[in-house]
Amino acid sequence: MNRVLLIGSPNSGKSSLFNRLTGLNQRVANFPGITVDVASGPFAGMPDVELVDFPGTYSLQPISGEEAVAVEFFQRALTDPEVRHVLCVVDATRLEKSLYFTLQVIRECQKRGKPVSVLANMADVLAVNDLAFDHAGLADAIGAPVLLVSARQGLGIDLLLSELRQKLISQPAVSSRWSETPDELLRGSAHQLAQRFGPRGDVLVQSQLRLDSFFLNTGLGGVAFFCIMFLLFQSIFTWSAPVMDAVETVVMGMGATLVPLISNQVIADFVADALFGGVGAFLVFVPQIFVLTLVIGVLEDSGYLARAALICHRPLKVFGLTGKSFIPMLSGVACAIPAIYAARAVDSPWQRVMTYLAIPLMPCSARLPVYTLLIAVFIPDETALLGLVGWQGLALFLIYFFGMFAALVITGVVSRFASGAKSELPFVLELPPYRLPSIRPILRMAINRSKHFVTKAGKVILAVTIAVWVLGYFPNGGTDLGTSWLGMLGHWIQPLFEPMGLDWRYGVAILSSFLAREVFVGTLGTIFGIEGADDNMLPLVEQIQGSGLPLGSGIALLVFFAIALQCVSTVAILSKEGSFRLASRMLVGYLVTAYLLALLTFNVVEALV
Amino acid sequence: MHPAQSPRSLWALSKGETCAVLGFDEALPEPYRIRLMEFGFHQGEAVTCLLRPGFGAPRVYRVSNTVFSLDVEIARFVFVEQSELGSA
Ligand SMILES: Nc1nc2c(ncn2[C@@H]2O[C@H](COP(=O)(O)OP(=O)(O)OP(=O)(O)O)[C@@H](O)[C@H]2O)c(=O)[nH]1
Repeated sequence: MNRVLLIGSPNSGKSSLFNRLTGLNQRVANFPGITVDVASGPFAGMPDVELVDFPGTYSLQPISGEEAVAVEFFQRALTDPEVRHVLCVVDATRLEKSLYFTLQVIRECQKRGKPVSVLANMADVLAVNDLAFDHAGLADAIGAPVLLVSARQGLGIDLLLSELRQKLISQPAVSSRWSETPDELLRGSAHQLAQRFGPRGDVLVQSQLRLDSFFLNTGLGGVAFFCIMFLLFQSIFTWSAPVMDAVETVVMGMGATLVPLISNQVIADFVADALFGGVGAFLVFVPQIFVLTLVIGVLEDSGYLARAALICHRPLKVFGLTGKSFIPMLSGVACAIPAIYAARAVDSPWQRVMTYLAIPLMPCSARLPVYTLLIAVFIPDETALLGLVGWQGLALFLIYFFGMFAALVITGVVSRFASGAKSELPFVLELPPYRLPSIRPILRMAINRSKHFVTKAGKVILAVTIAVWVLGYFPNGGTDLGTSWLGMLGHWIQPLFEPMGLDWRYGVAILSSFLAREVFVGTLGTIFGIEGADDNMLPLVEQIQGSGLPLGSGIALLVFFAIALQCVSTVAILSKEGSFRLASRMLVGYLVTAYLLALLTFNVVEALV
Repeated sequence: MHPAQSPRSLWALSKGETCAVLGFDEALPEPYRIRLMEFGFHQGEAVTCLLRPGFGAPRVYRVSNTVFSLDVEIARFVFVEQSELGSA
């Protein structure tokens, strides 16, 4: 298989070009020895040539763990005989920043005899702003072809593909012009070349500055920040409600149609309670995950997320974190697993550990089903301010806020007393231009994330739901849950949860949720489904409301779920990315804290109401 | 035109002020010095302070056609001198 490497500094448009060149036909390649996922895919129109998306880095002299992985991968790929060409992407509107890196890439390629082409991206921005870029002059000066392209509009892509096809056949000789040039000289040359051939004028910087003056303004920018974050939470709760209702109706409808057709009682019970009750209850939350990913994607693509990191830096610094922790922490709102990978961008090892510490407390989407269920049980589904603000959305905002607050308190305390806090690295962040987000790739990411959630969590959920159903159905054929195997197990652990007003059913659901938090909902669905009459089609919420769960227990459960690290996948990845010691300490520490806080909450709330 | 002055740091620039990079403090670790140079903070290069957000937040600087945000812990290690280009 012929391979072509795609490489470029962050924000050069590398991912967009990758999508354009492969027709979004992306799969995750597995490269031995590296821990990051590397996307690869066949070229559109050249199925026998694979394009490999190299992780973005500013330089071949890494200063963060993430860059070190990327550089190591690049150096190794250059020795791979299947790699036949390297495409280096630069942002043509900001040449200076990318050119030194480009020259480093050219030098390394020349050392290893790999041909390289430079793709000067964002040609559409140059055209709209009437900016001149002498790409032919630059090509002559650096001794490598420079092609003007626009990943967004597809300009220059056909030419690139045909030239690449030619080169893969003819295998041009590789010059050695830069192969011995030291970094110092490359830096100087990059600077001169950018001055000589790059676009002049500062219209782009000026228009960026106008928006930054607003978004980074102490007063108005702060208000905008809180509005954007508030909208984020309203979007995943209030706005996705109609789709959630639709999913619920479809799942229930399918169950109601299918179950009467099954003559065997055991199978009918299984399909109704375990499949449609348990798995259906979890599927309902996919729309929220989809909307959340979409909104974060839009924020990132628009350039706002980098401003949010800047705004958050000072406050996060107080708690031993950095503005760069904000993006991993925000990703943790979707799922802790990608967030832990994203924490590689935090270059200070100590602050990275602090970020790891904070991520599992971020209100991840797996908690969302649990929160949604408990909120629906206790908070009325009513709105205020002309229907714009829902009380349930507000309650969700508060519990989300509680998780984030707990994260900050914990990292703050740890960084104050731990010795490693001295080794922090300073904060430098490129502020990308504001752009209109490209919706298609974001939509695709949201679909992939939802699929990932369903397939990954779905397997665990199906296994746990079936196990719980079997334990609850036998040995008495589902007639009395109290004397079933599940009931026995629940009664056995009851003393642990009794002090917070929770009976054995919640004990069982909490136990099963250690596989994945959202299993809590499926398990309760199965337990209540078995207990309730088969013809009762009311949602799980009403069953819990009817069971007389005290308010204090509900809030204690919310607190417990906000803190406890009940996710095997997160623990596994933490021990891989951090260390086993860190992961096991976090597991035990958060569990004990969650239990004690839940106990305290129950007693305080019950004393007040 | 300007009498000899002790070097100012990038952090001391006021909003809209343009200076030329003079060098880096010894205390700035080597990898960071290199990275800043890669970003365009070369000796003699014009750098403009675009914004000084409140509450001690990192400040926003323009160098070449790119905009970076630098915290006090790094900006105070970059020395600048009055530039012929004056203020933006
Ligand atoms: N106008 C315009 N915008 C582009 C073009 N290519 C990419 N973009 C935008 O530039 C931003 C960065 O693009 P990405 O493809 O994510 O860039 P990247 O190099 O992969 O960036 P990282 O993911 O941060 O490494 C996105 O908002 C894109 O929509 C282009 O040719 N023209």
